[in-house]
Amino acid sequence: MIVSIAMLSVWGLRLGLDFRGGTLLEMEWSGDVPAIDVLQTALQPLNLQSLTIQPSENKRVIFRYLAAEDQTNDQVVADIKKVDANVAITRTDFVGPSVSGQIKQSAFQALIIAMLAIACYIAWAFRKVSKPVSSWEYGVQAVIALVHDVLFTLGTFAFLGHYYNIEVNAPFIAAILTILGFSVHDTIVVYDRIRENLLRLHEREDFEITVNRSLNETLARSLNTSFTVLFVLAALLIFGGESIRAFSLALFVGIASGAYSSFYIASALLVTYYKWQKKRRNA
Amino acid sequence: MSRLLDCGLYDRLGVLGFSSPQLRRGGDADQFTQYIMRKWKLRWRKQYGKMLGIFLLAVVSVAIAYPKTVFFIPKVEQKLQALPIQLGLDLQGGIHLEYKVDVSGIDSAKQKDALTAAEAVIERRVNAFGVGEPLVQLSKVGTENRIIVELPGVKDVEQAKTMLKETPFLEFKKEAGPEVQQMFDQYNEQAKTKAQGFLDQSKGGADFAQLAKDNSEDPGSKDKGGDLGFVKQGQFVPEFDKVVFDPSFKTGTVWPELVESQYGWHIIKKVDEKGDGVDKEIDAAHILIAKKSIEQYPHLQYASSGLTGQNLKDARVDYASQGLANPQVALRFDDAGTKLFADLTRDNVGKRIAIVLDSEIISSPVVQAIIPDGQAVINGDFTLEQAKVLVGRLNEGALPAPITLVGQQSVSASLGAASLQQSLYAGLIGILVVVAFMIFYYRFLGLVASLALILYTAMLVAIFRLSGLTPFPITMTLAGIAGFVLSIGMAVDANILISERTWEELKNGKAVNKAIIEGFRRAWPSIRDGNSSTILTCLILIFMGTGFVKGFAIILLLGVFFSLFTAIVLTRTFLGWWVGPWLERHRWLLAPKSKWPKK
Repeated sequence: MIVSIAMLSVWGLRLGLDFRGGTLLEMEWSGDVPAIDVLQTALQPLNLQSLTIQPSENKRVIFRYLAAEDQTNDQVVADIKKVDANVAITRTDFVGPSVSGQIKQSAFQALIIAMLAIACYIAWAFRKVSKPVSSWEYGVQAVIALVHDVLFTLGTFAFLGHYYNIEVNAPFIAAILTILGFSVHDTIVVYDRIRENLLRLHEREDFEITVNRSLNETLARSLNTSFTVLFVLAALLIFGGESIRAFSLALFVGIASGAYSSFYIASALLVTYYKWQKKRRNA
Repeated sequence: MSRLLDCGLYDRLGVLGFSSPQLRRGGDADQFTQYIMRKWKLRWRKQYGKMLGIFLLAVVSVAIAYPKTVFFIPKVEQKLQALPIQLGLDLQGGIHLEYKVDVSGIDSAKQKDALTAAEAVIERRVNAFGVGEPLVQLSKVGTENRIIVELPGVKDVEQAKTMLKETPFLEFKKEAGPEVQQMFDQYNEQAKTKAQGFLDQSKGGADFAQLAKDNSEDPGSKDKGGDLGFVKQGQFVPEFDKVVFDPSFKTGTVWPELVESQYGWHIIKKVDEKGDGVDKEIDAAHILIAKKSIEQYPHLQYASSGLTGQNLKDARVDYASQGLANPQVALRFDDAGTKLFADLTRDNVGKRIAIVLDSEIISSPVVQAIIPDGQAVINGDFTLEQAKVLVGRLNEGALPAPITLVGQQSVSASLGAASLQQSLYAGLIGILVVVAFMIFYYRFLGLVASLALILYTAMLVAIFRLSGLTPFPITMTLAGIAGFVLSIGMAVDANILISERTWEELKNGKAVNKAIIEGFRRAWPSIRDGNSSTILTCLILIFMGTGFVKGFAIILLLGVFFSLFTAIVLTRTFLGWWVGPWLERHRWLLAPKSKWPKK
């Protein structure tokens, strides 16, 4: 997790169109793709800011630049056509700065609301097990586990963004929110076991031992659930189209991390908190 | 009692929900048996009913999802085939455009109307385009008003954009108030002061030519140090001319006063002279500090009057004279427009009204009289062609406010089709993998789960197709497919929970049917809570997301609900139907040896 934070702060996420604003132009050649420097020279007179030219599969090349105006885009197309007229535009996306600002904002809000909502829901769902650890604690620990998942995914994408130029767009936010949902699902199952065992055994057993037992019992189930989802995502990753790849990857990484987190982090934190509470009371 | 045990009813009854006390009711064995048989028949019918129901559901779902399966009833197949799934832009190809609507020029009371009018205008244009299912929508983002246009299946993006761009923005403007003129007067005052400064400088000995090069606002002469060359009398404007040819003007000196002409203020220096009398030519140089006048900025001359293309009812070509010459454009306003126009003409008799189209003044006639009937004529020296084009554009819709393109996303149809195919393929593989895993690991329970899963898939696809008939068709986007595929993973989760619990109960020594019931019961809270959290996240996404994100969340939400249904109800029914003592005999079908209690 520390590594993730480090990667995030050093490299930052490679923000995609939706957040930065700018244009993405994808063109497909029917013949041979001209060399990158040829294309670059062709676009030189236009003085495009932050221009990147990236070849992609199927004889396509992706152009990215900061300008977000229709006229500029037409110019770019015209200039490229001068180099080689056998080219067709497969995709044009451009996002004006106001639109991207809006997307950034709503993304943030959605994330925060989601986390709050989940914490509240857990607190409510587990209200019957307020001894020895209050149900709010469950909620908070779950959210911490979630934060870990999100950070891990973000960190991975910071890494990928830096080395492989993979961008982060609005769908990425949707992926993160889904990961939140899943991870909580997982964590809840573990908590559920803990709750059940607690209700049965809390007079007879130590909290720690109950937690441990619950973990053992749910291990198989938790792993399997995550596996099935990961299988399905793997299929999407491998066989799904280019456009959806980054999205599937985000989901994959996040859910994998989620499986890990509901296990180690959520429960461990519970016990740690319990011990700390005990210490405080005895002090 | 022994008869019951022999024919395996005991176990069946257990699964069907009878509990031991009921079975142990004392009394006459035969009477008891009859009682049981009656109850059993009832329950059995119920079970049978349920199974039948599910079977029918399965058939219908599969039929709708994949009409080819009912190929033997062609009529039905055709009808079902006609239920298409709405494909989103990223799968169909098409274009998504976002325009910003600038309503700053309209006063706030009328802004809402203007926005609705703008939307209607654009919608008309889009419909004229002949695209399958266009979408034109107003949206508000922060303080900005936007119009979103989606044209699926459009082949030529550029053409679409040009068509939309050409929506004309028509305004009627009245003459600006005196403030504008004051602004110019002020500017000109400052110019005069500036000129005076230069005059003083050159009188004080500064180099005239350099001053001219640096400051003169006459582009034709400034680089030459302001030199105008040898000129005869009468060539310049009178004020200038008078000074230059003044006999007291000595060569090589600067005229001690500013000379004002229509162009501005001049500082004039006599450089040289030659010739005599009529042929006298004088070479003069000047520094010009220009005046600005309102005529140079026609737009500033006019201010908005509130009458715009929104109020235009129609336009047509008309002729000023009988002989089909001098084509004009005759305008007719709607009721609101008529009133506005009457007021406008009343307030501005003798003044000009500018007719502005796309920020260009195409005509600025002087108001002769009040026009109360809402009819106006634009006479701008049009050719017949021009008049026709203008009328066409005006009729198709004139916008009440200017629009600018701020966002665009276009996907070519081929990319869309490729994405669709790939994702479907991936989805299929995903399902297969999960089924394989479930059967391999959870055996019989896994098999049941797999059947439930397949039914779930068919049901969901059927729902997608059926939704086309409702006012809320579900659009399948790439994200939607991702959501769908994801929900498959989650659907299985419920079954995994149940299976694991069942195994646990088996290990604790319970009989098969009891173990299954317990498994369902104890797994339910986990299933409920876990799925609730996913539902919560989906709701948040739906509420806050747009486009891609929203589609994903909606489909995931549907998936979760339906998967809950199939995973629980279906599985329970299947199990109720199939479980029997034969399972006890073939324990390996249910679970590996490690799960059974040690004998």
